[in-house]
Amino acid sequence: MKVQCELCPKRCLIEAGQSGECRVRINIDGTLRTVVYGYPCSIHVDPVEKKPLFHFLPGSRTLSIATVGCNLHCKNCQNWEISQANPEDSQAFECQPEKLVQLTRQYNCPSLAYTYTDPIVYYEYTYDTAKLARQADIRNVLVTAGYINEEPWRQLLSYVDAANIDLKGITDDFYHRVCSGTLKPVQDALVVAKASGILVEVTNLIIPTLNDKPEQIRQLVRWIKTNMGGDTPLHFSGFYPRYKMRHLPPTSLETLETARQIAVSEGLNYVYIGNIGTTKGQNTYCPACKNLLIERVGYTILKNRLKDGGCPDCGKEIYGVWK
Amino acid sequence: MTRRKFIQKVIKIVLAIVSGAWFLAKNVTPRKFIRAVKLNIFPGSVKPLQEIKSQGKWSG
Repeated sequence: MKVQCELCPKRCLIEAGQSGECRVRINIDGTLRTVVYGYPCSIHVDPVEKKPLFHFLPGSRTLSIATVGCNLHCKNCQNWEISQANPEDSQAFECQPEKLVQLTRQYNCPSLAYTYTDPIVYYEYTYDTAKLARQADIRNVLVTAGYINEEPWRQLLSYVDAANIDLKGITDDFYHRVCSGTLKPVQDALVVAKASGILVEVTNLIIPTLNDKPEQIRQLVRWIKTNMGGDTPLHFSGFYPRYKMRHLPPTSLETLETARQIAVSEGLNYVYIGNIGTTKGQNTYCPACKNLLIERVGYTILKNRLKDGGCPDCGKEIYGVWK
Repeated sequence: MTRRKFIQKVIKIVLAIVSGAWFLAKNVTPRKFIRAVKLNIFPGSVKPLQEIKSQGKWSG
């Protein structure tokens, strides 16, 4: 008997004994099973800035986990060895939700991040762990491409505190050609997440020749400003030749800086540059008086001048979760 | 129009309506999300938990 998975917009109709596109949700005797529940392939203590989250508990560490699998197949994926892996060919630790919460406490992390691949494909594991973590006063962070249906998304968001969601491009054609997905569900997920009241930061990875034209960047930025507000932090991330896109050059610093200037000129208040060796575009400035608020180098906080979540000079409240 | 052609036309219209309705029911009607059940056996290999204090090598 076939089973339809209703988790993501792909709505895979799965034959008995087969998996969906994500490789980790399998039809066994007519029941949809998740084979990665309790089996992360990676657990590390990362700085929260690495996610990247710049407006969420700056300078804190987050217990970061992932299982194998992903519902998108981005040709540029930096983590393709785990995101595009078959569970049967991979190694994992056994770590049930209770153990993850215990490790988060043990390593003195205020948050737990579901990251590296996409927490959407290990949805049930993420959901149950996030619920337990919330009870233990631990914050939950998602790093995701946002390719999920509305009902499971809303259910999950009720236990989430912050998310960095990719907006990989601004055309359906880009999502189709590069990621084997579609744009609209991602835009819907971004709007729903923002409206739910959690902290949302957006990442756009700029790939030379594919989504690096100033007009494409302007269009993307305008969409964010109109639908999510000018206070939404945006990270322009540098591309490196990986997986099925080894023929393209890395993104230049100049392109990232141009993108940042476009975003600032369009009215976004917090625009950052990442995944490239630079000290530019790392700091947070007050959108009102323009004074420096948080100074960063890489994942390190050099200075944090925020006072009760606001600018110490003019008092403007700064979007974020600061304590 | 002959009776045969008329009947063929009616059949085509009915088929188009039925297949259109089936397509809409399948793709447009929202269906309830049901959680997947955990398998409890990992199909790959399970290794003991190693040092996790170090920063992850993966992006994100």
